[in-house]
Amino acid sequence: MVAAPRRGRCIVVALVLLAGFVVVLFRLFNLQILQAAELTVKADRQHRKAISVQGPRGSIFDRNGKVLAINMDVPSVFGVPASLDDPSGVARHLSPVLHVRAGEIERKLKQERSFVWIARKLDPEQGRRLEHMPLEGIGVVMEGQRFYPKGPLLSHVLGFAGMDSQGLEGIERRYDPYLRGEKQMVVLQRDALGRTVFPKGLHDQTPSTGHNVILTIDEVIQYIAEKELEEAVTATRAKGGIVIVMEPRTGAILAMAVNPRFDPNAVQGISADRWRNRALTDTYEPGSTMKIFVAAAALEEKVMEPSTLVYGENGHMVVAKTVIHDHERMGWMTFAQVVQRSSNIGSVKTATALGEERLYRWLRAFGFGERTEIDLPGEVAGLVKEPRDWGRRSLASIAIGQEIGVTPLQLVTAVAAIANGGWLMKPHTVSEIRDEKGRVVVHVSPQVRRQPISPESVRTLSKILEGVVTHGTGSKAAVPGYRVAGKTGTAQKIDPRTGAYSSNLSVGSFVGYVPAEDPRLAVVVVIDEPQTEAWGGVVAAPVFRRVAEQALQYLGVSSQEPVKLAMTSRSEMARP
Amino acid sequence: MKTLTVIAAMALLLLYVWERVEIVRIGYQVERLKIKKVALERERDELQVKLSALTSPERIARVATGKLGLVPPERGQVILVNIKPEAPASYRGRGLTMPEVKLARNDPMWKVP
Repeated sequence: MVAAPRRGRCIVVALVLLAGFVVVLFRLFNLQILQAAELTVKADRQHRKAISVQGPRGSIFDRNGKVLAINMDVPSVFGVPASLDDPSGVARHLSPVLHVRAGEIERKLKQERSFVWIARKLDPEQGRRLEHMPLEGIGVVMEGQRFYPKGPLLSHVLGFAGMDSQGLEGIERRYDPYLRGEKQMVVLQRDALGRTVFPKGLHDQTPSTGHNVILTIDEVIQYIAEKELEEAVTATRAKGGIVIVMEPRTGAILAMAVNPRFDPNAVQGISADRWRNRALTDTYEPGSTMKIFVAAAALEEKVMEPSTLVYGENGHMVVAKTVIHDHERMGWMTFAQVVQRSSNIGSVKTATALGEERLYRWLRAFGFGERTEIDLPGEVAGLVKEPRDWGRRSLASIAIGQEIGVTPLQLVTAVAAIANGGWLMKPHTVSEIRDEKGRVVVHVSPQVRRQPISPESVRTLSKILEGVVTHGTGSKAAVPGYRVAGKTGTAQKIDPRTGAYSSNLSVGSFVGYVPAEDPRLAVVVVIDEPQTEAWGGVVAAPVFRRVAEQALQYLGVSSQEPVKLAMTSRSEMARP
Repeated sequence: MKTLTVIAAMALLLLYVWERVEIVRIGYQVERLKIKKVALERERDELQVKLSALTSPERIARVATGKLGLVPPERGQVILVNIKPEAPASYRGRGLTMPEVKLARNDPMWKVP
């Protein structure tokens, strides 16, 4: 039997507890039901954090999958001046790692700002050293940086990307929409300590990487072209030069070397003049290489045959009150010899036989005066005036490659059309675009623009052009073991001061293809303002030979000539 | 019967709580792995940059000619031939062997049968 006072106490305790529960219940009711909507929003705001993230930029590869441009996260160091007790001490610690003077860092850290960059885009090694150096008020963030691991190799074609990962030149610019990583808002779920926890919903929120671009360029052939060009430019003390190697059947560019080169990893302070891809942005007067197309037109129009006799006027002819010279005194010669010995007078006579309209139409048919539509930015159309704008001397001038502006790319594309049997191809530098998982997004197939010339005329012309190398002006372009067809060119440049042709500024060039019977490579070599010697056959033809010889060997193109070395069979080798 | 219901209810409640706790725990684990993945990807990119720089043709040529004293092959030292997969009939049954030809390229050493 429980005593009455004890029972009373029990009731009191129960009531107190009950009152407590009522309070809690009331508060719960208030929070969970009355203020529910408002508080949910507030909580979400604290737990979730939306940030904009850009996926990394895609890479650029050569035709064999060698990396030419790649993105990498590198550390950047910042400081929060407000939370620093001892700026000079911190500066002394950071100085040896960042390779920046302590005074310089200290000055930044003493600024009245809440955030300062101390050093951006450092070496990953420096980042690792900073990690082992916990300093209050100093932080490291990772930023995407573009790297061109091969340095200056292919720089004019690759171009470069800016600080914020946007393509500014070359492939980087032209293919920016593909290369650029996807930008996406990412919602993170955070706990009370600000750590990221598993987001609601299981889908992966990482923004996707940009597409990878695969070029038609072969880094080895590119290296061969750049090396040989560099040597020639140095040896002739030239202002610069260009070499383009193209696959005639497809229009794929295998190498495009522009000298002087630049390093796309360090473009700051380099003028646009240096990184402009002059192979397609600048025109020049091609000189005698133009005779190829005058000859092509004459053969196709049946104005000339290889055996047609042309009188060389003993190297001296007057046209429109000006004198046209030949580099040697020539009398009667065949049309084939006109091309092989690069006779100006013979070429002028051929052009005259064709007439203005036909010559113009033929030059346009081979793609001069219009863009090749290569997939690189900045291409110019060149300059081919319409016949109604021609002067009295124009026909003669154009026949010898003056009064006409072409780009080295146009020239090699037009010669490739002769190499491949008459098809003018659209040159291209990109073969494929793949997404990050390797699926093909874009596949570039060879594109024919037109067929300006018949296969019969091409065969005849090709034989004539082989003669240029075997017994004409281009003998230094001969590649032992292979048949080479091509043409030399030497053009005087217009002196910007006088507006007349300069006596000492010239452009020496050679354009050709090899092996002539089944061309694998069409190559143009342009040497700008050589100082030692002007002739294209002397300054440019040897570069053609060296590039072609090494590239053919690299590509495994076998020689058509019988091998002169004695080959030993196994049984012979076994003999003592 | 009553006790069984209570135990079952408790068990369900515990199961529910355990499930929530697991979700959070695995969530943290996923985050840790993600951080690790990013770090590994960075290392991969860094190595790729290094590999690409080290295998650049310019450097290989410099090392080959400068450090190792190699020279480009002379004309005639490299012979490229058209590989025909089968020996011509005239060779067969006459005790003759085809000359062994090696290609001076990166391809596996091809041998004519």
